Amino acid sequence: MTNDRVAIVGVGYSTTGRRTGLSSRQLAVQAGKAALEDAGMTPADVDGVTLSWDVAGPEPEGLEPVNSDDAAHMLGIDPLHVSSSGGGIVFAHPAREAIAAVRSGQCHTAIAFRVINQRLSVPDLMSQEAPESELVPDHWTDPQFARPFGQVLPVQWPGALTAQRHMDLYGTTEEQFGTHVINQRHNASLNPEAILRDPMTLDDYFASRYISKPLRLFDCDYPVDSGSAVIFTTEERARDFRQKPVFVDAAAFALSWKPRTAGPESMVFTWNSPGATAEHLWKQTDLRPGDVDTVQFYDGFTIWPMMWLEALGFCGPGESGPLIQSGATRLGGSIPLNTDGGACNMGRRHGANFCIEAVRQLRGQCGDRQVPDAKVALWTNAYYWACLLTAD
Amino acid sequence: MATSSSRLLPEPTPETAPFWEGCRRHELRIQRCNDCDRFYFYPRPYCPHCLSDDTEWMTVSGEGILRTYVINHRPMPGFAGEAPYVTAIVELAEGPRLMTNLVNVEPVPANLPVGLAVTVVFDDVTDTVTLPRFQPKDRR
Repeated sequence: MTNDRVAIVGVGYSTTGRRTGLSSRQLAVQAGKAALEDAGMTPADVDGVTLSWDVAGPEPEGLEPVNSDDAAHMLGIDPLHVSSSGGGIVFAHPAREAIAAVRSGQCHTAIAFRVINQRLSVPDLMSQEAPESELVPDHWTDPQFARPFGQVLPVQWPGALTAQRHMDLYGTTEEQFGTHVINQRHNASLNPEAILRDPMTLDDYFASRYISKPLRLFDCDYPVDSGSAVIFTTEERARDFRQKPVFVDAAAFALSWKPRTAGPESMVFTWNSPGATAEHLWKQTDLRPGDVDTVQFYDGFTIWPMMWLEALGFCGPGESGPLIQSGATRLGGSIPLNTDGGACNMGRRHGANFCIEAVRQLRGQCGDRQVPDAKVALWTNAYYWACLLTAD
Repeated sequence: MATSSSRLLPEPTPETAPFWEGCRRHELRIQRCNDCDRFYFYPRPYCPHCLSDDTEWMTVSGEGILRTYVINHRPMPGFAGEAPYVTAIVELAEGPRLMTNLVNVEPVPANLPVGLAVTVVFDDVTDTVTLPRFQPKDRR
C-alpha cells in the first residue's frame, strides 16, 4: 500500500545550547520524547526511525555516537520497520528518507532526527590541528586541490566564494547581507526558543569581524549541541493525533553541475543545485511562489537564503539583495523569511529548525512572530533540498 | 606566502601525481581529451565531457582569469600567521577552473576585480612539494 500524502504530526527539540554536557543519546531521546509529546503519540504509534548524527568539527575523545537503531531502542519503538542512519549529514537526508518510507508503505510512521554534538566550538577548531578527515569532506572535488590553498571550511566554499561571485555579478552589497542578518535577529528576538536574541543593528553587523571576506561572523550559523525530531505519518493516521496535521505537498532533492538561469554560471555547483531542486519541486505541485505565505531557508551562510530566494522564483537572478532591502522578507512583508531567526540565531540544527518552524507557522503556534493565516510554507536545507508544506 | 610546516600539503595519488610532478618542474600540467579536444581538471582517467579514456597530460600556458575569491581573515588550521590571504578560483585560458591563491598583490577588493588576468607562479613550499599560485599578469 502506498500513501501519496504524507503528514507531519509532531515536532520537538532537545535542550539546545553551547556545551550542554548532554550526550548524543540524550539529545536524541530528548528530541524524540518532545516530538511524541507534541503529537500526543506513544512509541507504539511509531515504526520507523531515520537519523543523522555527527559532530561539527573534530570528534572529542569519548563522545559516543547515536544511530537510528539506538534511538528506536531507547525510545521503546518496537517493532521497527525502517531504520536508517545513512544518506548524509543535514536534516534533509533523514527527512527525505522518512517521507519516502511512509509514502512507499515501508512503515506507517517515522521519526526523522538530526543530532549534533558541538562540544568544540569554532574557535576551538581554529586553534588546533584537526584531523584531516574532519576538515574537508569533499567541498572542492578532491581535498588535495583545495587544502593547500587554505580552502578548509565551508565558510569559504561553498560560502564566501559564492557570495563574492554574487557581489561581482549583480552588485550585491555587504549592507544587503547585513540587512538579512539583522532581520532574522529581529525574528529571533520574538522567539523564546532562539539562542541569540539581542536585537542587532547594521552598525553591529559591520563591527563584527570577517571570517572569510565578504562573510562576517554574523553571516555564519551558530554551533550548538542540539537534537531535533519530526514525525511523519500517513494521511489516514494523521488526524488521530493531537495536532492539526501539516502535509508534504512537494519534496525535491537535486544535485546539479549544470548552470541554471537563476544564479551565476556553473562555477560552484552550490548555485546550480538550488535551481535544479526548484525545477523538480515546482513540477510536483500546482502551487506557485506567489501562493507561499512564509519561507524558512537554510542559512549556513547569509548567501544561501539569498540563492534560495532566487532559485525558487521569489525574485529574479541577482535580485535577492534588493528584495531583502525592500523589506519583503521581514515579518509583515510579502514573504517573511526565517521567522524563527534561522540557524544563525536558533543554533545549528542543520536544517531541522526550518522544517519545524514551517510546521509551527502552519499550525498557527508562533506567537509574536506568527505570519497571519499561513497556509503554505516552504523550507530548504543545504543547497539541494526544498520541501513545500501545506496546512490541512 | 610564507611556508608553514603545518600547512595541509597535497598527498598525490596515482591519478594526480603527474599534476604535482609538473608543479615540481614549474610546469602547469592538466589533462586533455584526444577525442573531443577539450581540457579538464581535476585529474581523472577519463574525459568528463565525453567519457573517452583517450586522454593525455599537457603543459598549459599558466594564463587565466580570476573568477571569484575570498579574503580569508580567520586563519584556517595550518595557516596561522598568514591571514589575510586570498583563496581564489582561477579559470585557465584552456578552460578548466582550479582553486588556488592569489599572491604578490595586496589583499583588498580594489586589487581583485573578477576577470583580472593572472598568471601562474610556482611556490616550492618543501623539498618535494610545489604549489601553483597565481599573481596579476600586469603586476605593478
